[in-house]
Amino acid sequence: MSQAAKTAARQVKPILSLNKEEARKRVLNLYKAWHRQLPYIVKQYDIPKNIPQCREKLREEFTKYNNIQDVRVVDMLIIKGQMELKEVVEVWKQKGHIMTYFKESQEPKPKDFISKFLAGVN
Amino acid sequence: MAMAVRFTRLSKNCYGALAPVLGNGQVACFSAGPPPGTPPPQTKTKFGPLADEDRIFTNLYGKHDWRLKGAMKRGDWYKTKEVLLKGADWIINEVKVSGLRGRGGAGFPSGMKWSFMSKPGDGRPKYLVVNADEGEPGTCKDREIMRHDPHKLVEGCLIAGKAMGAKAAYIYIRGEFYNEASNMQVAIAEAYQAGFLGKNACGSGYDFDVYMHRGAGAYICGEETALIESIEGKQGKPRLKPPFPADVGVFGCPTTVTNVETVAVAPAICRRGGNWFASFGRTRNSGTKLFNISGHVNRPCTVEEEMSIPLKELIQLHAGDVIGGWDNLLAIIPGGSSTPLIPKSVCEDVLMDFDGLVQAQTSLGTAAIIVMNKQTDIVKAIARLIMFYKHESCGQCTPCREGINWMNKIMYRFVDGNAKPDEIDMLWEISKQIEGHTICALGDGAAWPVQGLIRHFRPELEERMRKFHECEQKKIANN
Amino acid sequence: MLRFTVSKVLNGAKNGPKTLTVLTRWQSDQAKKPEKIEVFIDDKSVMVEPGTTVLQAAALVGVEIPRFCYHERLAVAGNCRMCLVEVEKSPKPVAACAMPVMKGWRVKTDSEMTRKAREGVMEFLLVNHPLDCPICDQGGECDLQDQSMAFGSDRSRFVDNDFSGKRAVEDKDIGPLIKTTMTRCIHCTRCIRFASEVAGVDDLGTTGRGSDMQVGTYIEKLFLSELSGNIIDLCPVGALTSKPYSFTARPWEIRKVDSIDVLDAVGSNIVVSTRTGEVLRIMPRINEEINEEWLSDKSRFAYDGLKRQRLVTPMLRDSSGELKPVDWEAALLTVGKQIKNAGDKIGAVAGGFADAELLISVKDLLNRLGSENLCTEHVFPMDGSGTDLRSSYLLNNKIAGAEEADLVLLVGTNPRLEAPLLNSRLRKAYIHKELEVAMIGPEVDLRYEYEHLGADPNVLKNIASGSHAFAKKLKSAKRPLIIVGSDTLERPDGAAILASVQALASSASPQEKSWKVLNVLHKVASQVAALDIGYTPGVEKIRNGNLKVVFLLGADEGAITKEDLPKDCFVIYQGHHGDRGALLADAVLPGAAYTEKQATYVNTEGRAQQTLVAVTPPGRAREDWKIVRALSEVVGEKLPYDNLDEIRDRLEQVAPHLTRYGRAENANYFKQAAALAKSANLDSTPLDVKIKELKDFYMTDSISRASPTMAKCVQAALKQKEAKC
Repeated sequence: MSQAAKTAARQVKPILSLNKEEARKRVLNLYKAWHRQLPYIVKQYDIPKNIPQCREKLREEFTKYNNIQDVRVVDMLIIKGQMELKEVVEVWKQKGHIMTYFKESQEPKPKDFISKFLAGVN
Repeated sequence: MAMAVRFTRLSKNCYGALAPVLGNGQVACFSAGPPPGTPPPQTKTKFGPLADEDRIFTNLYGKHDWRLKGAMKRGDWYKTKEVLLKGADWIINEVKVSGLRGRGGAGFPSGMKWSFMSKPGDGRPKYLVVNADEGEPGTCKDREIMRHDPHKLVEGCLIAGKAMGAKAAYIYIRGEFYNEASNMQVAIAEAYQAGFLGKNACGSGYDFDVYMHRGAGAYICGEETALIESIEGKQGKPRLKPPFPADVGVFGCPTTVTNVETVAVAPAICRRGGNWFASFGRTRNSGTKLFNISGHVNRPCTVEEEMSIPLKELIQLHAGDVIGGWDNLLAIIPGGSSTPLIPKSVCEDVLMDFDGLVQAQTSLGTAAIIVMNKQTDIVKAIARLIMFYKHESCGQCTPCREGINWMNKIMYRFVDGNAKPDEIDMLWEISKQIEGHTICALGDGAAWPVQGLIRHFRPELEERMRKFHECEQKKIANN
Repeated sequence: MLRFTVSKVLNGAKNGPKTLTVLTRWQSDQAKKPEKIEVFIDDKSVMVEPGTTVLQAAALVGVEIPRFCYHERLAVAGNCRMCLVEVEKSPKPVAACAMPVMKGWRVKTDSEMTRKAREGVMEFLLVNHPLDCPICDQGGECDLQDQSMAFGSDRSRFVDNDFSGKRAVEDKDIGPLIKTTMTRCIHCTRCIRFASEVAGVDDLGTTGRGSDMQVGTYIEKLFLSELSGNIIDLCPVGALTSKPYSFTARPWEIRKVDSIDVLDAVGSNIVVSTRTGEVLRIMPRINEEINEEWLSDKSRFAYDGLKRQRLVTPMLRDSSGELKPVDWEAALLTVGKQIKNAGDKIGAVAGGFADAELLISVKDLLNRLGSENLCTEHVFPMDGSGTDLRSSYLLNNKIAGAEEADLVLLVGTNPRLEAPLLNSRLRKAYIHKELEVAMIGPEVDLRYEYEHLGADPNVLKNIASGSHAFAKKLKSAKRPLIIVGSDTLERPDGAAILASVQALASSASPQEKSWKVLNVLHKVASQVAALDIGYTPGVEKIRNGNLKVVFLLGADEGAITKEDLPKDCFVIYQGHHGDRGALLADAVLPGAAYTEKQATYVNTEGRAQQTLVAVTPPGRAREDWKIVRALSEVVGEKLPYDNLDEIRDRLEQVAPHLTRYGRAENANYFKQAAALAKSANLDSTPLDVKIKELKDFYMTDSISRASPTMAKCVQAALKQKEAKC
């Protein structure tokens, strides 16, 4: 067998979850943890959003990755989500960081002449 | 001296008779007749001293009347009209025959130089400019002519002017020569009053004017193009050559710049014949010459002598020998401050003419002999000369402006010995970097004395440095 | 006054006619020999004209000989000795810049002797040159630095520094533009030659001699000339540097953008140096047809005006009568509303800095609104053929062509200060060729001699009728030029003057058919493009139109005042400087200056050239044509171009020559123009020009009025004048 074939046939090493089922459980756990944290976030960070809005945003953030099938990628996202949560809980973030979930910082490029003119871009 | 006179007559009248005894090459030449302007062949082996009747400048010491009356008594303005009427070609030919070379330092054959001017004109007037800006340290021949024999120069201007077809002559006289300028002005006025100058000069039908222009005291204005600039009223800074003054000179017109002495001997040559003049001195170095002897001699003097006279004889005969005797001689600068010095060993038998001194790696220059005896601080003497050149450099071109200043600094350190021996080679190289790289010859003139010093007195320089450093070491040890 | 280098005489270049008429005849005889001679440069054969210098011959085969004092456009001085080269059979090296080649010469530009000579000269130059490169403004663009790297020795043996130090020279104060550090001077005398030959201000010279020689003015005096800045470029070392630019930047830090100058109508080519969005300096760019390699002081030093008094945000006049900053949206809406209400009661006045793109967009917009009230601030007579025929408003014979003239008649113009680079050409022809100049108008100082024919315009009539002595000269001239200043044509009888000048021009008989006698010299950069595009010169239409909206396109010269307009007239000012025009405005739309936009300008010859973007417009300022384009959309008459290419296509539709950059389209129909011209009676009030003296030269437009450097120049000029009194 060639070296290339050997590598291809090798069993991929899991990150956390061995199968999809396990990964799903982890996702739900993370979701719940965030969900429980939301009231505190609103209070601690004094953001101009209420809890339902935050729940909606939370759901949106999770459903953004609906289409991901690879267990390893899901695991990676879970890890990132946990890190993010930790930062929020410990108040390592500031208000603006939270608010970036609600607003894209990059505005769309102006397309027509007049909006280009007003934006001052060529 | 009768001998010389006889010889003169012989060469004048029996020209052809001499031919068979000459070299074979010249015989062939002579059979077709010599080309015009050929100086007579060399037959003489001993030169000088000059007989009194052969002297051109008979009032060199101012013992007689310098004004028109006295001058005419001494033979000036005699048959000038006839000379003029013989025409320009005759005069130029006569000057060529005489073998006269420029007396200002470069020694360019005068006949040839004057003939450049006789090219067909283009409508521009031509000018003769007489360089009376005698500023070279040691040189004092022109001033003697101008204060004691001014009519020689005025007449010379007329004859040289006629030879070139010049409209006027400008005498550019050194500003410091106040008395000389006064005498010249008087002489010119007298000549005008006598009808020798101006419209129909000497009744020859030739119009000629002579103007005096006093300089403002810069050595560099003795350089021909700088002199032209100065006459034009600009800063006396040498021009680039080409174009040479013979093409574009004073006021943009063809001009010849000649030394006072060259012009002043022209009438004598025309009256007594080129062959007479050529009978003095070696071939290509012919004529009589004013020698200035200064420095450590018993009787410093200016004297007219035959060219090619041995240096030793010249000094001993006219200047009363070196102070402390001939054996006390250290070195001689033979041609004005810009020529390299020669040590005593060379002085013993060197002949005072262009070729003889070139052989001795120096130059006749203006024939201003500066004698230095063994009591002289030779390094300091040369350093002083370089200081002069540093002061007189016009500052126009880089090698001269910066180089001489640098040489001056080094030379004064050499006086104390405050330098390293390899700086001698550096100084030599610097002088070579100046020589030939400048617009005019002042750079060369400043480089040569240094080169002469290094050539002949290198051990002296090294000795001083050794002593200086020993002294320094001692000082350090004592402290 | 002038020091002619004699080598020029030999080289066949013509000399001053007044001094040496005979000489010139002699040269023209010589010049009849076109036979070429062969010389060898480093064994490469090259055929050259007789009289070519070694340096020029070497340049022909691509060998560059180092030099400091030599400059193509100045007389040969031959004093730096850097260009020494070996010539076979010559015992001494020769100065390549001054020595004409002889037949069969073998020049060795890289032989041992040549290299030694260069190294020696380099060493001498550095003996007294301070080692202050780290604090010298010339550092990085210094000839001495570069050449010492290339040709100098790699180590120093100059030990006298320890004993006596280097030469130090006191700095001179020669004005607010040029900083001197005379210790660095290497005495190449380029500045002296420039001052006396090109600028005609014989103030610089050398004093002292030998190592004490100094370049300066002898008595302390300001070197005031309209071209003085060029000696900064000429100086091969850091002795003369720019005062406003001092200690600002190093050449390797800056970005250079090629552009066009718009402070006069000459259209000099420039290089704009920028760093971090700031114009640091402006330098000339070689263009043989326009500015050679010179630049006038205003063009060179007024750039600091680009940083002051700028309009950076749109502004609207509020109820209290004050201009208040607003954002673009509000400004556009308000202005748009006013324009909509005005209908065809709208007009526009173009000022001196308006570029062709702006002019065409405003014209398109106003035409769409049904208005033809498009004017330029500067008047030009409209009688006869008016501006329909280009020949009546261009400098038809081109700037470079002025050099060839043998007779120039200036009518009511001061070219020295209105177009310094045209004047330098005239001066060049006056000095090196046989140009004669005559002037009808005020007796101004042009730095060359001219025949003053009086200031009465009726002299024109007398010349035309042949009763004036000058008529004969004009008739017999082979290449005559008549240059009419725009100031003259702004007079009430401008049309009559133009008509009589046209008649005069057509009566002259130039030798060549293509020679154009009639030339109009404009003062502002926008005028020719505006007339080409179809603007009406003069603001009569605006005064009489009873308009509701007036658009000022950088019109700052006060041609329109509040009193000229109806009370309820809404004035929009679009431009880059808060100057006179902005004071009138009800709305201010900030535009871009010439260094901040890619725009087309047509110079007084009719040559289209474009500026390039060197820096971005400050604040909320926008490129001018874009403002109009945006406004058109708000008004509802959307203009059909969205980018530069499209608007340039539109320009090409209107006048194709406007986009042929660098080329000057010839104008024609001189006879027809002259025939159409109605000869009216001339006023007998003497002709006058606005810019008479140097003090009037520096501040003539909104940019230079905002420039502190120019203000200093005016002060200096006044001071100098007082000192003379």
